[in-house]
Amino acid sequence: MMPGAGGNGSRGGIRRFGVRGLAFCVLISAGLFCLGPVLWQAVTSVKSDQDLVRLPPILPEQATASHYERVLLQSPLARSLVNSAVVAASATTVSIVVGSFCAFALARLPIAGKPVILGLVLSTSMFPPIAVISPLYLLMRGLGLRDTLVAVGLTHAVYALPLAVWLLTSFFRQLPREVYYAARVDGCTPLRALLSVLLPLARPGLAVAALLVFIYSWNEFMFALTLTASDSIRTAPVAVALFPGLYEIPWGDIAAASLVITLPVAGLAALFQRHIVAGLTAGSVKG
Amino acid sequence: MIARVILAFCAVFVLSCTPAGDQPDGRTLLVFKHGKLSGDGTVLSNLLREFEQRHPGVTIREELLPASSDQQHQYYAMNLDGGQAPFDLLGVDTIWVQEFAKAGWITPLDTLLPLGERDQFFPGPVEAATFEERLYAVPWYIDAGVLYYRRDLLDRHKLSPPQTWPELVRSAKLVLDAEQDADLVGFVWQGKQYEGLICFALEVLRSNGADLWEGDQERARAGLRFLRETIAGHRITPLSMSMADEESTRRIFGDGRALFMRNWPYARSLLEREGSPVRGKVGVVPLPSFPGYASAPVLGGWLLAVPQSSPRREAAGELIRYLTSPSVQRLVASELGYNPTRRALYYDETLAVARPGLKELYPVFLGARPRPVTPYYLLLSQAVQPEVSALVVGLKTPRETLEAVRRHTERIVGQRAPSVSAEGL
Amino acid sequence: MTGQRSTVTREATSRVCLSEQAWGYLLAGPAFLLVGLLAVLPIAAALWLSLHRRLPIFGVEEFVGAWNYVQLWSDDRFWAACRTTLYFTALSVTAELLLGLWIALLLDGLTSIRGGSPRWAQVMIILPWAVPTVVSAQIWAWLYQPDYGLLNYLLRQAGLATAPIDWLADPDWAIHAAVMMDVWKTTPFAALLLLAGLKTVPGDLYAAARVDGAGAWKRFRLITLPLLMPIVVIVLVFRTMDAVRVFDAVYVLTGGGPGNTTETLSIYAYKTLFQTLQFGYGSALATAMFLIVAALSSLYLLLLRRHLRDVA
Repeated sequence: MMPGAGGNGSRGGIRRFGVRGLAFCVLISAGLFCLGPVLWQAVTSVKSDQDLVRLPPILPEQATASHYERVLLQSPLARSLVNSAVVAASATTVSIVVGSFCAFALARLPIAGKPVILGLVLSTSMFPPIAVISPLYLLMRGLGLRDTLVAVGLTHAVYALPLAVWLLTSFFRQLPREVYYAARVDGCTPLRALLSVLLPLARPGLAVAALLVFIYSWNEFMFALTLTASDSIRTAPVAVALFPGLYEIPWGDIAAASLVITLPVAGLAALFQRHIVAGLTAGSVKG
Repeated sequence: MIARVILAFCAVFVLSCTPAGDQPDGRTLLVFKHGKLSGDGTVLSNLLREFEQRHPGVTIREELLPASSDQQHQYYAMNLDGGQAPFDLLGVDTIWVQEFAKAGWITPLDTLLPLGERDQFFPGPVEAATFEERLYAVPWYIDAGVLYYRRDLLDRHKLSPPQTWPELVRSAKLVLDAEQDADLVGFVWQGKQYEGLICFALEVLRSNGADLWEGDQERARAGLRFLRETIAGHRITPLSMSMADEESTRRIFGDGRALFMRNWPYARSLLEREGSPVRGKVGVVPLPSFPGYASAPVLGGWLLAVPQSSPRREAAGELIRYLTSPSVQRLVASELGYNPTRRALYYDETLAVARPGLKELYPVFLGARPRPVTPYYLLLSQAVQPEVSALVVGLKTPRETLEAVRRHTERIVGQRAPSVSAEGL
Repeated sequence: MTGQRSTVTREATSRVCLSEQAWGYLLAGPAFLLVGLLAVLPIAAALWLSLHRRLPIFGVEEFVGAWNYVQLWSDDRFWAACRTTLYFTALSVTAELLLGLWIALLLDGLTSIRGGSPRWAQVMIILPWAVPTVVSAQIWAWLYQPDYGLLNYLLRQAGLATAPIDWLADPDWAIHAAVMMDVWKTTPFAALLLLAGLKTVPGDLYAAARVDGAGAWKRFRLITLPLLMPIVVIVLVFRTMDAVRVFDAVYVLTGGGPGNTTETLSIYAYKTLFQTLQFGYGSALATAMFLIVAALSSLYLLLLRRHLRDVA
């Protein structure tokens, strides 16, 4: 069992239960606050068009699957989900791989000017995307990458890189130096040390960084809208933005679509949290 | 292991790259860029396929942009400015033609629509598309503000649809007092800080013989005062209208919670849909005016233009001619509910069957005046939107608002060639 | 115990052996390449543009040096947008940090008490972050509707409000409505990072402290907080960056209105760039935003330097 910040021993069993119960209740209400609007979306997505504006009733008398039908079968959303998955997965891979190499170098290897480097990397992320979007678009057009998934994935990877680098540098820093030096003494090159020894230890950091980059890329809208043009290349948020016609906003369809888009990410989060929680239990830190 | 994963993704990437601008040998590929239309997307696609059949050797690729006017403007600005725009035909909002023409981004289309034929179309869009006496875009579909009202409520209180704004206020107050329904409001209109607000403000001011940017100040102030008083004075409009756009007002009215609504004609078919609470109870009339002046609906709608950089201008021109031909306009009007720009179609019998309310809209579209026809329009609009919005919520008085508007106008347009100060814009 | 290891370790595979420093540059290289090409180049282009007056509609294109920035200094609308943005940032980041910390502590505490991780809790917490911003902005716009929005309905049912609150239309409420939406959306980011940070705090430190008789608050203040500081700085920096550049959240909700009371810098920049097509001035606005973010981040790093323990 992982030693943590919680109670140990059997002191005051009932009081502990009270504290635990209270924490639980608070967590439930925090969860409801987080979930509330999403639940409301779910309810909206099964309301018929007439009921959308009526309040009461909160729950529709008759649930309808017409929105989901329209969204999944009659719109390009399904294809765009695949595109989003490809883009997000590759952006995450590139970002994490490149980012962890760079973070490792910044954390453990003696290169010059680390604060400057970190600052520079961060400042590229500080610049507002709206000013960058036009030159970036022209650059992509010049490279012949207009309307391709590569352009979007690459852009996402680059703009998520600062977060990945900063996070992973911090996590690598927190790993004990001895682990790295032990690996080096064993005859590994720095790269091998990174791959076989340090990365497994930095799993919570990697998991968090990967999840955040994935979510960023999955939900990113402005670059995805600008760099893509045809239906077959669109990503999911852009597909949702194409639901409204002139003036008309099909609320039920958008609610259904937004749930469909959110679920894969939620599933991924569920998968990843195991790694986040793992902590330093791998047993590598011997006394 | 990691290497394998990376390789796999690279493979997927490469496979999913569709080369853009693919040209089948010998054939011309026309790229038609436009905002998403409401309704069934296949109607337009079928029309384009038919064009392809009539013109062997031409393929058309339709590329959609979000329906939001702002996003489309952003896209066009980025692409047209760089030269070599990757499309051959674009849909433009009526308020953009002047600035695109001045920038040299779109090419004149006088040959497509010679002077003699222009009066087959409504004069408003043609005026908006004419820059330095040359026509730069062909009207595709048209829009203008109209007044919706609840026929059943007015009938119940023996009132007829108002023809002046004071009459509208009186009717609204009467009905609200009589109905005593906490959920019912008198008059809903688009008051959010965006282009729609300028449209409505212009409709009110122009129907008082004034204008926002120039002209009689007294009557302009009176018009502005009317806007604010619907909320603060007469209380027939809720404050939440200062955040309302077309869809919000349509939903409020469509749920039976409003007596009058100012909106575009698109809402009618939605209000008459199966299951709508106000089905069969809605009437549409031209907007009211102030006593002694005429109703002044503002022109909306979209046109078709060809970028200057396109090497396929003739083919694009053919497509424009096709899309604005009477038969295609008739089809689009009956299937998608968009209003045709050809005047003759409003007396067309087959169309009248599919769109019974169309003939009533004819005088409205005929009298619809465009917003200021100048390349400076978007600058003017952006400068003025915050002022009018401040008026709507009561942060500024009509006098202050008008002064600010005139000051901005002077700063933007007053100096000549070409000095557009960014200060305070 | 640092320094350069200049000795070369020969391996069985007898690859080319590089010094540590060379390895460092090699490993950091790809990041630089990517960032340099796809981020630095466009930013440089934008910076270069900000030194010009560029109005493509009127064919104006001239180099004016710092003139745009001088104009910016005397631009009232810019300062108003600055104030709005900074107010939004201050409220938003503070709320996110505190809420995120609280949730992370809850989850961490629960984990060890229950002996297993409440997976559903973590997924639930991350849901707001998982929803695309454009969609969440529309959800909240829907919720905030005074007439048919859920929020006013619930408030009325609970008896907390008699008249419908004009969340977005009322100039006093509008920016706070946007803050609430942003906090809802981005607290998971903070919570997730802080939770991961909490997990890396060695448990024996707590055990030792408990043996010494330290209470929960003291344990938090002397052990948890200092060890969590690097993560807190990251959360602060990145959240501030995002909050200063907030666009979708406010634009979809209010469009900058009413009367420009919720106009943030990015909305002003967007309108300048893509509505009025003043590319030079718009780029200058964006650069100003960048400078503000850089200033704030440097401030954090400076003030919290002693907590950073050689992260930067």
